[in-house]
Amino acid sequence: MAKITFVQPDGRRQTVEAETGKSVMQVALAHGIDGILAECGGAMMCATCHCYVDDDRTGTASEGEEDMLDCAEAEVRPTSRLTCQIKVSEALDGLVVHLPEADE
Amino acid sequence: MLDLPVNEAVTLADLTRDPYPIYKRMRAETPVVRVAQTNRIFVTRAEHTKWIKETPEIFSSDDPMTPMKPAFQAHTLMRKDGDEHRAERMAMQPSFSPKVIRTDWGELYTKLAEDYVSRLPRGETVDLFKDLCGPIAARILAHMLGLEEASDEEMQRWSQRLIDGAGNFGEDPELFRLSDEANAEMNALFERVIPRHTEQPNNSAFSVMLNGRNPIPMSQMYANIKIAIGGGINEPRDALATIVYGLLTNPDQLDEVKRQDVWLDAFEEGVRWVAPIQVSGRRTTQEVQIGDHLIGPGETVMTIQASANRDEAIYGADGEEYNVFRDKHPHQAFGSGPHHCAGAQVARRTLGQIMLPLLFDRFPNMTLADPARVIWSGFGFRGPLNLPVTLN
Repeated sequence: MAKITFVQPDGRRQTVEAETGKSVMQVALAHGIDGILAECGGAMMCATCHCYVDDDRTGTASEGEEDMLDCAEAEVRPTSRLTCQIKVSEALDGLVVHLPEADE
Repeated sequence: MLDLPVNEAVTLADLTRDPYPIYKRMRAETPVVRVAQTNRIFVTRAEHTKWIKETPEIFSSDDPMTPMKPAFQAHTLMRKDGDEHRAERMAMQPSFSPKVIRTDWGELYTKLAEDYVSRLPRGETVDLFKDLCGPIAARILAHMLGLEEASDEEMQRWSQRLIDGAGNFGEDPELFRLSDEANAEMNALFERVIPRHTEQPNNSAFSVMLNGRNPIPMSQMYANIKIAIGGGINEPRDALATIVYGLLTNPDQLDEVKRQDVWLDAFEEGVRWVAPIQVSGRRTTQEVQIGDHLIGPGETVMTIQASANRDEAIYGADGEEYNVFRDKHPHQAFGSGPHHCAGAQVARRTLGQIMLPLLFDRFPNMTLADPARVIWSGFGFRGPLNLPVTLN
């Protein structure tokens, strides 16, 4: 298990126990985190699980992930990631994930 | 493990007329069942359909026998898996991204929607399906693909012929003759517009593919554009007609949608209620357990998203009703997994943000005098075939 904190654009924070081996996207869905839709279910085909993660432990986005991020709804920043591509491990304990602004 | 039940009674004609009572019963009694007339295995519960779509290693999209191949004169990305599928899809995905919709298309689509809605005669009864839903879907798609030279009528005819060919499981030669004819006309247009797109690139799908960093083969660009024509007209057309029907037959909801300005919710509920693409096919690559049943390799499994979208396990007892204000749950109208609908965001914007508010603003007292006159049809694709409304 690892603790992950999701931070909404308005500053609201939710810290959850994340099961190792799951993706951060799956953890967010399991805990009903607002702003993660994950419409394609983790196939890296929709960019609706886009978040900002400023933490070296998560590695960097693959080329395919970068391409898909270009199709994200909210502003893409250097810290942009698709949470379906980040796998939870003990090493990520304490990870902080920022949700993007909703566009509408 | 239980033997796979076989349903000998259900016919394609029944499913085309009204599949929903059949699916309701299947969800309850035989959620995984071989339907003898189609020789395909129907899967009707939401948890199963979602899992199948998200597990492409076991449930492949590749169907070597698909009539899509002769209909499109190509093996298209809809029937590919893995990296090959991703490369082709990503070649045109930027054209459908929220960013490009905002920067390039939003204003144009609003203008087009205004043009088409303003042509409708106030005070008269028209068939909104024929006079608005189809033509506006065709026009918007023509621009998005970079084919604005094509007329609404051509776009709609090509689309229908591709669909008829792709569903031609009985291999009727006449249907393939008609799709061949459409292919020839489309190919001729594509050739004609290539110079325009190489000289003046824009964010249309054809332009983006032609001018990509590592362009995919031209034959696959053609195939992809055809897939977008085949899929990109009937779906927004049917969704629009379905949503307008849902709102006009539930005037209390319509009032509340206007008051709260929640047209996107009206859209989302419409495609949940009657998914324009009702079913999808996948081929098993190995033996696999679905529910209580073991399915062998090489079987064709149909995920029935139309049924998943009304599954009692998610929507409770009233999933059969159009209710914009129900508790929000994700639906499967756009599918899931690698083949999740590439046009989902475009559809939400063009219909939910632009067309619906505009249409009801211009005709706030639009009525559907006799809902019983609306004919619903379709097994693979479903929607109303007509929508006689009085415009006021």
